[in-house]
Amino acid sequence: MAAPMELFCWSGGWGLPSVDLDSLTVLTYARFTGAPLKVHKVTNPWQSPSGTLPALRTSHGEVISVPHKIITHLRKEKYNADYDLSARQGADTLAFMSLLEEKLLPVLIHTFWVDTKNYVEVTRKWYAEAMPFPLNFFLPGRMQRQFMERLQLLCGEHRPENEEELEKELYQEARECLTLLSQRLGSQKFFFGDAPASLDAFVFGYLALLLQARLPSGKLQAHLRGLQNLCAYCTHVLSLYFPWDGAEGPPPRQTPAGPETEEEPYRRRNQVLSVLAGLAAMVGYALLSGIVSIQRTTPARAPGTRSLSMAEEDEEE
Amino acid sequence: MSKVPFIHVGNQVVSELGPIVQFVKAKGHSLSDGLDEVQKAEMKAYMELVNNMLLTAELYLQWCDETTVGEITHARYGSPYPWPLNHILAYQKQWEVKRKMKAIGWGNKTLDQVLEDVDQCCQALSQRLGTQPYFFNKQPTELDALVFGHLYTILTTQLTNDELSEKVKNYSNLLAFCRRIEQHYFEDRGKGSSSIRSS
Repeated sequence: MAAPMELFCWSGGWGLPSVDLDSLTVLTYARFTGAPLKVHKVTNPWQSPSGTLPALRTSHGEVISVPHKIITHLRKEKYNADYDLSARQGADTLAFMSLLEEKLLPVLIHTFWVDTKNYVEVTRKWYAEAMPFPLNFFLPGRMQRQFMERLQLLCGEHRPENEEELEKELYQEARECLTLLSQRLGSQKFFFGDAPASLDAFVFGYLALLLQARLPSGKLQAHLRGLQNLCAYCTHVLSLYFPWDGAEGPPPRQTPAGPETEEEPYRRRNQVLSVLAGLAAMVGYALLSGIVSIQRTTPARAPGTRSLSMAEEDEEE
Repeated sequence: MSKVPFIHVGNQVVSELGPIVQFVKAKGHSLSDGLDEVQKAEMKAYMELVNNMLLTAELYLQWCDETTVGEITHARYGSPYPWPLNHILAYQKQWEVKRKMKAIGWGNKTLDQVLEDVDQCCQALSQRLGTQPYFFNKQPTELDALVFGHLYTILTTQLTNDELSEKVKNYSNLLAFCRRIEQHYFEDRGKGSSSIRSS
């Protein structure tokens, strides 16, 4: 019997099964088709067989790391969500995926990795806390640089004079794209009727990240929240296909008490430990350098305290 | 320095397809007014598909396929400049294009894979067009203009290998579409310029 397929992907957070767009897309597609995957949720890309996430190890040991190719492989293994689509719907899928890549992807990258507030308070925070030592010191920064370079190359030719203009234009196009998606979805359950297809996996990936992450600077999020059918679509997919993962974190509207109480025992413990360590270091230094000396004999208590005060005067001088 | 194509109206210069379409729309002429919302969404999506696949494939062929680069592109790109500027600029452009290809994931693609993608794109366009005269039935829209522009260029530009134009020729309805537009809108421009019939 061939080994089962294994999927390595970024682990979950913010109420989602994964925090990374590509990992989320592949996971969703696998859930749609019921593909029997052994999922390894990791926080260290070096643990993946290809060094990047997501990565699929097929039953023959081959490793695939491009999301489109992973989905193509699953299709070949007869886990095909697009089986019932007509030729015209297949063509529409290709067209809408291009639309997503051209209009939504740059803004998604910008929102999570370039916008300073979001990056520091949400993205970097998650990655730095999730990754093991010592990766958490340099890997998030490196990822940010890679994403920024990618964004620059993606929008290279359309570069107007300054950053703000570019940003405004990007967000304008993304808002239009979301509105177009909303119009195309209409009141259907999925983009092509009642059963999900690969396009749904891709769209869900973008929408879920934009909706669920608690972004301090969420301009696109506000627009998306106004498109009721897309929000309902997102919640529907989450509750239907990720009932356990989706319940891990709190819904976005509540005050951020959820994940912080989980971290709190560790934080408190860390705080106490660091204070104790600091105290021990200070006392040890004081004792060793003679600033403070402890006299054991009781009558010598007075001279002990006197030497303490003299030593303190020395220190002040 | 503005980019080609551009239109010059009074003292305004508007360049590239998107802004030109917007400009003309602001003057009260729009080809897509008759479309409903869902159709407009589909039109935008297909335009992105063409930009994403056809345009990138054309760039790839021009700058990443060694034979084409050596025989045609370098000379053509560098021709307005004196030596050694012509070589330097051509190499610089090639390096830039290769970087962009890598960023969008096309860096490791072979020519065959690129042609495969072009075929997929043409198949999608062919299926969407079906037996209609234009993509949204009776009236041409911006999508028709964009598709015609790309396909016509692919069919009529002489390159070192004809595989790209062969891929397009596999789809008879796309060929018919191009001929129809050429005859209907360009036949009074004179028969001197290259036409699809001669290739």
